Amino acid sequence: MLANLKSNRAWDSRLNEKKRRCNAVNKLANGKVLATDSFVEALEKLIVAGDRVVLEGNNQKQADFLARKLSQVDPNIIHNLHMLMPSIGLPEHLDIFEKGIAKKLDFSFSGTQSLRISQLLADHILEIGAIHTYIELYARLFVDLIPNVALVAAYKADRNGNLYTGPSTEDTPSIVEATAFKNGIVIAQVNELVDDEADLPRVDIPASWVDFVVVADKPFFIEPLFTRDPRLIKPIHVLMGMMAIKGIYAKHQVKSLNHGIGFNTAAIELLLPTYGEQLGLKGKICQHWALNPHPTLIPAIECGWVETVHCFGGELGMEKYMAARPDIFFTGHDGSMRSNRTLCQLAGQYGVDMFVGSTLQVDGLGNSSTVTHGRLSGFGGAPNMGHDPHGRRHATSAWLDMMQSQNPVDRGHKLVVQMVETFQAGAKPTFVEQLDAVEVGKESDMPIAPVMIYGDDITHVLTEEGIAYLYQAKSLEERRAMVAAVAGITDIGLGVDSKRVAQFRKEGKVAFPQDLGIQPTQAQRSLLAANSIADLVEWSDGLYDPPARFKSW
Amino acid sequence: MERIELTYPATEKLQHKALAGVVGSGDLEAMFIPHQEKMLKIIIKTSVDGSKHRWQNLFNRFASLHALPMGTLEINDFASTPGVAKLRIEQVFEEANYA
Amino acid sequence: MPNRDMSFIELSARERARRILDQGSFRELLDPFEKITSPWLEPQGIVPEFDDGMVVAKGKFNGKPTVIIAIEGVFQGGSMGEVSGAKMAAALELAAEDNRSGIATQALLLFETGGVRLQEANLGLAAIADIHSAIVDLRRYVPVIGITAGTVGCFGGMSIAAGLCSYLVVTREARLGLNGPQVIEQEAGIEEYNSRDRPFIWSMTGGEVRYKNGFADIIVKDSVNDVKTAIIQCMNKGLPDTLRSDDYDYYLQKLNAIDTSKQADATLVKNIFGRGDRK
Repeated sequence: MLANLKSNRAWDSRLNEKKRRCNAVNKLANGKVLATDSFVEALEKLIVAGDRVVLEGNNQKQADFLARKLSQVDPNIIHNLHMLMPSIGLPEHLDIFEKGIAKKLDFSFSGTQSLRISQLLADHILEIGAIHTYIELYARLFVDLIPNVALVAAYKADRNGNLYTGPSTEDTPSIVEATAFKNGIVIAQVNELVDDEADLPRVDIPASWVDFVVVADKPFFIEPLFTRDPRLIKPIHVLMGMMAIKGIYAKHQVKSLNHGIGFNTAAIELLLPTYGEQLGLKGKICQHWALNPHPTLIPAIECGWVETVHCFGGELGMEKYMAARPDIFFTGHDGSMRSNRTLCQLAGQYGVDMFVGSTLQVDGLGNSSTVTHGRLSGFGGAPNMGHDPHGRRHATSAWLDMMQSQNPVDRGHKLVVQMVETFQAGAKPTFVEQLDAVEVGKESDMPIAPVMIYGDDITHVLTEEGIAYLYQAKSLEERRAMVAAVAGITDIGLGVDSKRVAQFRKEGKVAFPQDLGIQPTQAQRSLLAANSIADLVEWSDGLYDPPARFKSW
Repeated sequence: MERIELTYPATEKLQHKALAGVVGSGDLEAMFIPHQEKMLKIIIKTSVDGSKHRWQNLFNRFASLHALPMGTLEINDFASTPGVAKLRIEQVFEEANYA
Repeated sequence: MPNRDMSFIELSARERARRILDQGSFRELLDPFEKITSPWLEPQGIVPEFDDGMVVAKGKFNGKPTVIIAIEGVFQGGSMGEVSGAKMAAALELAAEDNRSGIATQALLLFETGGVRLQEANLGLAAIADIHSAIVDLRRYVPVIGITAGTVGCFGGMSIAAGLCSYLVVTREARLGLNGPQVIEQEAGIEEYNSRDRPFIWSMTGGEVRYKNGFADIIVKDSVNDVKTAIIQCMNKGLPDTLRSDDYDYYLQKLNAIDTSKQADATLVKNIFGRGDRK
């Protein structure tokens, strides 16, 4: 025996530490319920300097009360925290760093706070561990970024700590699981406390996973990120939507998919019941979705195009509509929808045939990023869906359609589509020689450039000029020329010979709208199944209740 | 604001005058009036300064793919993207053909 | 599919005018090919529009001679400049002349306007004054029917023009007010009037509340056919017995009774102006 090699360490140090901390707040808690007034004091006892703290800033739901309270703790007591945050959506999330309470940050997405993160990074007020994709960050919560404390948000809790997170479940199960089962401390802010489990619509997180609950001073903030007002869809979006439906969705018979956020994909959703119907595609494409509850999908659902939708998160105003369509959405026994970002990301990665997204910059080989100078916007979930997962083994006709060789052990490929206008507003070209991300990566000392979707994963680039079927490219050089063929009058686009473009069109490697039988002048807003938010409400028989800021009546 | 004039050889005969679009943010209006000379005269007023090169590229590309119509094309542009501009120009030529 | 015919709000000013008039009767005066544009915008670095954002057309409505004047809300927020204002004023004056000469000409005004065009200042204001006089003149002979549908609504001096009309038709997406939300916020402060609080804005100036409180006569769905039906109803009524703008004693008394120390809200407005017969 090598007995002398056996460690003498204690095996339950995390458990003992957890007990110590929980005992320290005995006086501030009534069972599991912490008082709202003395909550900052409780936090100062439950968190220890240097802790890894996962704070639930999700894509939509924000644990804003907990963030606000964390920013009020005494930095002399609590400092040097290592924050783990799926999404940084609120100013409070960054106040924690400015006040010296936290130092290091691992995150996925920053959105509205992307400018400030860049600034804080430049001023050495925060350090970034890495910018992740969503499931990559959740994965690390179980490996080398295991949290000491989890701060999460729920609609309701009972006194035992059972949580109802409902349509906004989002990241909560993954965050709680990583903490609770490694003897970390789980604290939930709730909008409402009820006495008994029977008073909860359902239990989304069981009480034994939760250590403390606190009633927030106001309901958690939730951002209607996925509501696109049809009024703002322009004819050019309609044109690109028609091209996508005919030149990609129908051509490859895509049955399962994810759509990014944006007016291009909103246009596609609103064209299915009209243009898609004209093409006789109902029942042939777009039946199964990994998708947030986009209000613009309502007309397609109502017309019978959509079989199922699994959601990453909820969307303000869609609750009643989803509850009334349980055949389509995932709902609990209480009737309300249940989202789950981790599982939906996995669905979007492995389960679906196609990802369609948009971006700010694309280089000559099709690499793309939304990181531009001064904006460290992060990745969110797009790269999880926007790549070809090598762990996939099941075949579908769309997936097999991407196979280009006679190699007996060849495999299919997920369709990864970038849908962009050749120029952004303000005359900024979308197609560029080098992504800003390359420079930003260097300036920020990142080991790799923050590329959102790699060119070698992209199968199609769609612009108002045409579709480049990149999966057919025989070489890197040909891929570059095919991207250029649809890059319009950007410098990239001007770099391809018109004879070569004509040859690509003849071979079916590039299709212009006319090649697909689409006259650009047919692209009218009147083709959209809904022209306004009011139309969407009407489609939903009044079940969709849009947030105030989208109402114009 | 910038005023740009361009001229291209043209062969196509369109019958009618036509107007497409509106001068709203990100959009433009394009007016076509046919004439007998074998050239397309283009007059652009645009809110985006320094954009002459881009308009030239846009019409060079357009001319390489289409036969241009004989007439005057006047554009009032309020910061449209090249994609939107192209769509409006295609629209006004189509209307001038069938109006 | 929602049971709705063609959206009215979706249409450009020219299409609105064309679709309201009897089919094939639309004949535009000073059309964009005449290129009567604003002489003031280009020197200030602003791109003009060939019709200066004002569509004037003659034609038939329900078989009767009609002049229709439509403001394009997308161009410079439907603002009234020297040229666009003169087009509208002159069209109204000519219609009054026609009526005096025994040619009964109906008038339809489609308002999508933020009011005066700031770049043309007094010239725009003078034109708006001419429009007011012309409406007051013309409405003696025929009903002058105003329509505001959205998305811009009708503000500034042009809200007075709307108030002078014999009848006013609105949709629930329309807004009608003397000052635009941003202007009020700037002057009165965000606590009193938050221009980004859309439900609040619509609860004070939206089509529905304007109708309920008697500042508009008919509220219609966003539908070309419903707008046309509403116009026919107004025309069938003929000249109104009392004009809103003649009823100033009634409104002054109400206005004088307002306690301005209290924050105005929808309930306050309803209590003052609400008309119980309109639900």
